[in-house]
Amino acid sequence: MILGHLWESLQASSLGTYIAESAWAFPTIESLHVIAIVTVVGTVAVMDLRLLGLTSRDYAVTVMSRDTLTWTWLGFTLAAITGLLLFISKATNYMANPYFLAKMAMLILAGLNMAVFHLITWRTVKEWDTSPIMPTGAKIAGALSLFFWLLVIFFGRTIGFTLGIYE
Amino acid sequence: MSFSDVLFAFTEWLRTTPLVETALSISEHPLSLLIASHFWAIPIIQTLHILALAAAFGSVLMINLHILGLTGKSRTLTQTVKRFQPWIWWSLAVLVVTGIGMIIGEPIRELINPIFWIKMGLVIALVLLSLWYNAALSRNMVQWDMTLRARAGVRFGAIGLILLWCAIMFAGRWIAYAPV
Repeated sequence: MILGHLWESLQASSLGTYIAESAWAFPTIESLHVIAIVTVVGTVAVMDLRLLGLTSRDYAVTVMSRDTLTWTWLGFTLAAITGLLLFISKATNYMANPYFLAKMAMLILAGLNMAVFHLITWRTVKEWDTSPIMPTGAKIAGALSLFFWLLVIFFGRTIGFTLGIYE
Repeated sequence: MSFSDVLFAFTEWLRTTPLVETALSISEHPLSLLIASHFWAIPIIQTLHILALAAAFGSVLMINLHILGLTGKSRTLTQTVKRFQPWIWWSLAVLVVTGIGMIIGEPIRELINPIFWIKMGLVIALVLLSLWYNAALSRNMVQWDMTLRARAGVRFGAIGLILLWCAIMFAGRWIAYAPV
């Protein structure tokens, strides 16, 4: 399989072998990855709870979005870069690990949920921006977002316990 | 003497303390055996620990980035603190409970670990610093609300708290890699 060769060559690259063999590189990148993910999920949750109408009801939805989204994207960029670096150190092992694949699936679902929300539900935001009662579409988006990100963290943590099991 | 030498020496010293006996007796406790015999117990406790961390750090960012003028400009500091401060303390309670769960589940890995104790030192420093900083803020919040950012000490405190949280998360992940 062509992709299989890609994972092998990534892992065999000088950067891949360096991260795998260095005593400090993997744990340091992993620590930054945790800080990045916690930033993403922490700021996303602030927005999701607003969409669910559970907190910050006196805080306009558009303002809440502006206040959190920059930091969510900054966190996400750092998480993606550090995640990619961790991935190339053991690319074939990650691709064989069902929890890694499940984490990637949850990331895609979280992204699709966000896209649907911003492209469709967001069109009418002016009507409910400062309302204490959120439309069903916004509530569903908030709940799904919290659910997918919870699973991203759970599957992500599980990878660390199962990486040696699947070859 | 390199930093890893210091850590090795710290571990050697921990091995001479009564902590070894404590860790061993915790590991024989039924609750510890229960956690150790269930594969999913530690990953689930760690997931809850990270979720609580997300709630805490998200709130820490919203307050301290507001103080730095980087978010929440349409709100007053009083509003921002009122909205996010309780979440930090409640999350901290969940962090302590899940953290204790991890100690019970893997007492030797945690208690005879130099980085675990460095992390605990940083946590105590963070709690004391947060209490002191919050007290200073709440005494002056209303009259400072508009001019707060102008004060270098206040900005320094906000940056310091964010960095201290990051250092604690760093230490938390490194517990798994310490020379035990």
